Amino acid sequence: MDNFDENEIGKLLRLKKFEQPPPGYFENFLHEFHRRQRDELLRQPVWSVLWQRLSDSLFRLNIPSLTSYPAAVAAVLVCAAVISVKVYQAPSSAGDAMVDTSTLPSNESVIDQMPSQRVADYFTLSSSLPTRRLGPDLSRQMNESAYTHRATTPPRYVLDRLPVSYEPSFNF
Amino acid sequence: MDQPRTDDDQALVARAQSGDAAAFDDLVVKYSPRLYGLIYNMTSNHEDTNDMLQDVFAKAYRAIKGFRGKSSFYTWIHTIAVNMTLNFLKKRGRRYHLSLDDVDVSIQNDKEFIELTSTSSPVREADLAELQRRLNEAMMKLSDEHRAVVTMFHIQGMPHAEISKILGVSEGTVRSRLFYANRQLQNYLDEFRKNPVG
Repeated sequence: MDNFDENEIGKLLRLKKFEQPPPGYFENFLHEFHRRQRDELLRQPVWSVLWQRLSDSLFRLNIPSLTSYPAAVAAVLVCAAVISVKVYQAPSSAGDAMVDTSTLPSNESVIDQMPSQRVADYFTLSSSLPTRRLGPDLSRQMNESAYTHRATTPPRYVLDRLPVSYEPSFNF
Repeated sequence: MDQPRTDDDQALVARAQSGDAAAFDDLVVKYSPRLYGLIYNMTSNHEDTNDMLQDVFAKAYRAIKGFRGKSSFYTWIHTIAVNMTLNFLKKRGRRYHLSLDDVDVSIQNDKEFIELTSTSSPVREADLAELQRRLNEAMMKLSDEHRAVVTMFHIQGMPHAEISKILGVSEGTVRSRLFYANRQLQNYLDEFRKNPVG
């Protein structure tokens, strides 16, 4: 009595390659694949789609390949850091001129704090030029008080009685 | 089953990685018949095979950007298919029973099949459909790992080295599994030959 040997089993098994799906299956398979992909995309949350697109865009930039050039990448990063520090420092030095206006005394309070005799000396015609006498402290505070006025109070508009062109040049 | 040409795969994969969906479609068209045979002979069910094959290509599409080309696309896609099918079979467990509905009738009209069964003495007296059903039953009696090896070697015609790459085991393990599986199939079919109606 003959038995199945390995070769005959192999031949029988090889015939199973003829077991195929119904005709037309593979033609429709790709359409079905696309349909399932669309369905899956619609089920995904928005953040997931956005993340996927972001990762796609990063992949197109081929960021992993940059690791092949560590020196160049390090130099670019150092330059970027230096430039960003410079850009960050530039507005802060300009901002030194801006002081906290809430701590500054107003124009009237500065004058009030001065002795009355000294105020009179400052504002008489016989005295020397006030700009020389004011000194740096007072002029700075007056300028700052003007800035404070603009910053803290709404602007005031004064309508002149006559147009500027009709006023005489010197009005004493 | 002849091995598909894999030299064109590299260009198609590169295009698919850069976002060319048509290139991936070409890969689907190229590999779907072969992977269908692989999955079907592991699951013995057309509907499961269809769902599995869709899932395999969906997973491959999501992972294609991470494919670094350390192996060929052929090996990579077969690895995905085999691993997913083995996981599916573990989940399905033993609740699946082979049905006569799963016996493919197209093979009975195949010229090669008729020639083999008419000239080979052990199977000459056997009914063709019954023999095929018994063969499928014998396949399903194998463990999932042994059935995978038998499918890839005997049905798909893969060499041992390729199977070892796909399964991630040594060639010796592949040969060992194949030997054991052949013995089991042989015993089962001999039993059928001795008792055809059983």
